[in-house]
Amino acid sequence: MAVLDGARGGGELAIETRGLRKTYRSVRGRSVGVEGLDLRVPVGGVHGFLGPNGSGKTTTIRMLLGLVRPDRGTATIFGHEVPKRLPEVVGRVGAIVESPKFFPAFSARRNLRLLADAIGAPAGRVDAVIDEVGLTGRARDKYKGYSLGMKQRLAIAATLLKDPDLLIFDEPTNGLDPAGIREIRQTMRGLADQGKTVLVSSHILAEVEQIADTVSIVARGRLVAAGRVADLIGAGSATGSVRLRVAPTDLTIATSVLETSGLLVRREHDALVVDGAADPAAVNRALGERGVWARELTPLQADLESVFLGLTAGEVPGGGERGPATNGTTTGVGA
Amino acid sequence: MSRLLRVELRRLWARQVTRWACVGALALVALTGAATFLSAPPPSDQQVAAAEEMFEADQEQWEKDGEQQVADCEAGAEAEGLTPEEWGCDQMAPRLDWYLPPTQTFVPDAAQDEMLFGESEVGAQDDATRAAVQEIQGSVWNGWSGLATLDDLAVLLLLLVLVVGVSFVTAEINSGSLGMWLTFEPRRQRVYWSKAMAAAVGTVPIVLVGFALLVGASYAVYASFGTLGDLTGAVWLEVAAFTGRLLAAGAVLAALGVALGTLLKHAAAAVGLVGVVAWACLAFAYSFGELQRWLPTTALSAWLQGGLVFQTERCTPSADGVFECVPVDHVVTTVQGGSTVAGIAAVVTLLAVLVFRRRDAS
Repeated sequence: MAVLDGARGGGELAIETRGLRKTYRSVRGRSVGVEGLDLRVPVGGVHGFLGPNGSGKTTTIRMLLGLVRPDRGTATIFGHEVPKRLPEVVGRVGAIVESPKFFPAFSARRNLRLLADAIGAPAGRVDAVIDEVGLTGRARDKYKGYSLGMKQRLAIAATLLKDPDLLIFDEPTNGLDPAGIREIRQTMRGLADQGKTVLVSSHILAEVEQIADTVSIVARGRLVAAGRVADLIGAGSATGSVRLRVAPTDLTIATSVLETSGLLVRREHDALVVDGAADPAAVNRALGERGVWARELTPLQADLESVFLGLTAGEVPGGGERGPATNGTTTGVGA
Repeated sequence: MSRLLRVELRRLWARQVTRWACVGALALVALTGAATFLSAPPPSDQQVAAAEEMFEADQEQWEKDGEQQVADCEAGAEAEGLTPEEWGCDQMAPRLDWYLPPTQTFVPDAAQDEMLFGESEVGAQDDATRAAVQEIQGSVWNGWSGLATLDDLAVLLLLLVLVVGVSFVTAEINSGSLGMWLTFEPRRQRVYWSKAMAAAVGTVPIVLVGFALLVGASYAVYASFGTLGDLTGAVWLEVAAFTGRLLAAGAVLAALGVALGTLLKHAAAAVGLVGVVAWACLAFAYSFGELQRWLPTTALSAWLQGGLVFQTERCTPSADGVFECVPVDHVVTTVQGGSTVAGIAAVVTLLAVLVFRRRDAS
């Protein structure tokens, strides 16, 4: 397990779990949802919670919120053991678990009004949070008539009713269009910039990479890596790989030249990927000496997705077959 | 807790199911008024004229040979070893009310009931049981009257609030909003009791207004016909007492609905279960023998009506080996009925609380 300094630090923790375990019983037997998970989410910033489908992200969040009882292990939120002492800290936690869930026949305002009254929030708070998420014009409409994006925004408004210190968003951008995704991303980043802690589980890794300060990656209910995003990517970047493009007629000779120079070469569509090239200039030099000229020579850098796929190889369909991807790749991994 | 209760009460009254229950109660009132108007009118002038004509003809005949009929009757009584009164010889003179069509009244008319249905078969009983049976059978909720009909219709109001209670939690479970709710108030026991109490308290107006309108509509129809019967202050007191018992039953059944909804998670399953149990209890009550006093339907009726009498048979072999059976009266008092209903509701509710506390929420 790769645990980098960012997650090991001794600072105050918003969330900490130790040996958290949850199994589910069904007619087909017992399945493990979370297996001995040790999770540490520092106070402040955005913490990405990543893992393949069925890796236990939502189950972990449910256990933190007291919706599901762990079989074993402990969990704390701001130092309060949950679920035992959850009532003491629940006022500091806002959460959306999976898709937003409100009373379909009630308006947005009525749904929030009920929640606000349940926690004794001031009367004006409902309108304030509705305004904050841009739903003022539709606040009297029934929830069941809302688009997915509006439902997500309403859910965020609900989490803000308490003015929480910790926000937990479970797949908050599911089903949203690009504009909606950007809006949610900006909201999460904005909340973190206000000093709040945001825990976000998402299957869109590029999105998490853009906003997360730290991440935890889980597979089969266990933590496989944790740390600052930059550190994780940095650790995965030492590949020494370059992508090379030459004239199509030179592909064969270029391959031969580079292999003779002791480099590993593989074909990727109309390009060559050269592994083990610590210095791209060496590739260029070897080719030039044989009169082959590169049209493009790009050092390949790992991104969060490649790190994720590397760490969870075998957990994701096809996950072990992917090579390093260039920055900006947005291919998602099903969550 | 009181804050949660207030919120849940507001949610209950904002729900469409609650509003539909109110509409259902109003529809019941309208149907009752219409049905009473059509089924309980007093005899028309033509019916009265025809009855008077027949009565006069028989009266004329009675004046001719009445003495002989009485003498024959007394001889028959003597042959049977009975007094003439026991044989009914003093009741032979024609009376006009024998010829008039029966008229349903708002308050039961004991004399008319006896004429229509005869005396009920008296089961073997001790003095205390006999007194209790007489008291219960003399209640305004027994017999052929407007009030006795209302007693049955009131059960439909209870069914409505049970459905409201069931739906109150199943909608929340199935929409997933319970999970969101628990992220705001994770103390599950508080959450459960706030829902159960909201259902119990919040449905009181439906039962109260519904039953008041039922009584009012029925009263208005009978008053317009001039057939209220012997409507005394004691009758109104009994109506008030019945209303109190009905409200208590409504609160318990609404809370029971919440418990069943929590346990079964689906409204159709919970309401279906209640329907099947009620049907089985009513259809096979006699098969339970003396144990039927513990059936929920029997207990609920006993609570509402201020006591209930049911009969079983006690069969003993005679000397020639033939079984001779005699009816035996059993009395379920108001307190016994109420205790049984409350006990069933308490057990189901405790089970629901335990499940609600431990169940994973989605």
